Amino acid sequence: MPANLGGNRSTGFFLPDFCSATVVFAVVLIAELVAIIFAVARASLHQNFWIDLAACSLLLLWMGLGCAAVLCRARPRLQHMPPQRAGLIALALLVATVGVISELVFQVGRVWSEGMTDLNTIFPVDHAGFLLRNLAVGFIVSALALRYFYVSAEWKRSIEMEALARIRALQARIRPHFLFNSMNTIAALTRSNPGRAEQAVEDLADLFRASLSEADSMISLRQELEIARTHQRIEQLRLGDRFHVDWDVDELPPRAAVPGLIVQPLLENAVYHGIEMLPAGGTVTIKGRVVDRLVEIEVRNPIPLQNGYSEREGNRMALENIRQRLELAWPGRARIETRQEAGEFSARLIFPYAEGNEATGE
Amino acid sequence: MNLLIVDDEAPARDRLRRLLEEIGDCQTIAEAVNGEEALAYCSDQQPDVVLLDVRMPGLSGIEVARHIDTLPDPPAVIFTTAYDQYAVEAFETEAVGYLLKPVRKEKLAHALRHAARISPSRLVKVAQSARIEHRREQICARLGDQLRLIPLTDIFYFLADQKYVTVRHKGGESLIDESLKSLAEEFSGDFVRIHRNALVAEKQISAVERTDDGRYVVRVRECSDVLEVSRRHAAELLRRIRGEN
Repeated sequence: MPANLGGNRSTGFFLPDFCSATVVFAVVLIAELVAIIFAVARASLHQNFWIDLAACSLLLLWMGLGCAAVLCRARPRLQHMPPQRAGLIALALLVATVGVISELVFQVGRVWSEGMTDLNTIFPVDHAGFLLRNLAVGFIVSALALRYFYVSAEWKRSIEMEALARIRALQARIRPHFLFNSMNTIAALTRSNPGRAEQAVEDLADLFRASLSEADSMISLRQELEIARTHQRIEQLRLGDRFHVDWDVDELPPRAAVPGLIVQPLLENAVYHGIEMLPAGGTVTIKGRVVDRLVEIEVRNPIPLQNGYSEREGNRMALENIRQRLELAWPGRARIETRQEAGEFSARLIFPYAEGNEATGE
Repeated sequence: MNLLIVDDEAPARDRLRRLLEEIGDCQTIAEAVNGEEALAYCSDQQPDVVLLDVRMPGLSGIEVARHIDTLPDPPAVIFTTAYDQYAVEAFETEAVGYLLKPVRKEKLAHALRHAARISPSRLVKVAQSARIEHRREQICARLGDQLRLIPLTDIFYFLADQKYVTVRHKGGESLIDESLKSLAEEFSGDFVRIHRNALVAEKQISAVERTDDGRYVVRVRECSDVLEVSRRHAAELLRRIRGEN
């Protein structure tokens, strides 16, 4: 289910798809509502409210469904036009449809009531008046409806754009500090150990590919852990014996779907604020398990004693970033908990276990 | 020329060493893996130039530079950093020599030709605008030719006389070559000025007493020294220890 954080992205065209059941249903509902409005407004002119409502409904349903059918067929062509022209053409089509249906109704009524002397019929009697009134009402209602569709489509699009922009901004970025240090390590290794240098370049490329990938894509937990291991390999070259990672993740379901880059930034933080700031280095513990269909991943690392580790701007920002992306993926059902005790910091991700269709199996 | 490379990362040290060897004109190239080692080496060996990584565990590069600066004949310092926006801005404005990692050979050669001692005042400014370790966690005192690091938490008070500042700490007394004014600014969070010539660790104040002639004195917790409070600083001191600011 959480395979796409952006939801159904609209195709960008302002007219909804009038062939779809939901929109047809909405058209029926709106036609009925308008019929009720007419019937109520004219209640004093007619003896029988219900018959007037029925007649009105019949006429408006024909018109509404007719217009929906016309727009359903016309939409694929209108879609490629600039919105203003598409709007004008749609308006003309709608008014024409209203006119044709009115004419048909009038003709049917004339044939139907032939020979009847009862003038109190539900069919119109005044040909020109009936047509003109319907065309005028059809024009006004169509124009309003088209305007409404246009405005709401714009509104929806701006909301979607905003959400996407937010996810993009939130997407964890590789720290420049890490990039340049890695470059420096590679520069050193190119002569002393070309094989390792080559591997480091490959690892760095993988990391950047991951951080540049689609902002709202979900990946498998296996892929995410692989990214973290790639990160570890690069840092290992730089920090040597000072850096150890204790992986305890066998219990984790490899196919669980996660937003990309939620574990790797925790490891990056653990190195940047913890291991790297300790003269003797230390061990980062990554521990994962599943409890009651909830995935828990804890990253624990030693930190220097006298520093406000969790208050550090960079750390707080990264944690907030992960928290918000978890929230976007599983609103209200995922969280990140942090704890700082003497000389140790831990961050724990907790989110629902859902298997996604693994995008790319390497 | 005698050089010292200070970096906690082995590949970074290896690369600088190789570049220096290619440039030539260095007699000795020594390496230190952290600030303490660097300081010990500097007070022993007197290198001409120190290539100093900014971000290191323990003492930061800028702290190390400030300590190095208190040596009788301090070496020139060139900072190296992979990425440190604020520090680099500070180096630029204070015209302090620095190199970005991965270091280019030409830039390294150029920096070595222009390496110069960095004045203490510029280092203070760099430390402030670099936003890394505004304040040191140790004070560096000289014992003969040796440098000695005194953790800030061990210090009871600083006392200035005409020429020097005396540091009274757990391990006894040491002289340092810094002004009381700059110390007061740097450690304003934990130390309080009680007199024109005295700066006391707030945690070490066990009592503020009033003498018979109406003056105030401070009792120091761990060494039971009694220090005079000047009229000018009394109000501020009382406010501080009552926790009013």
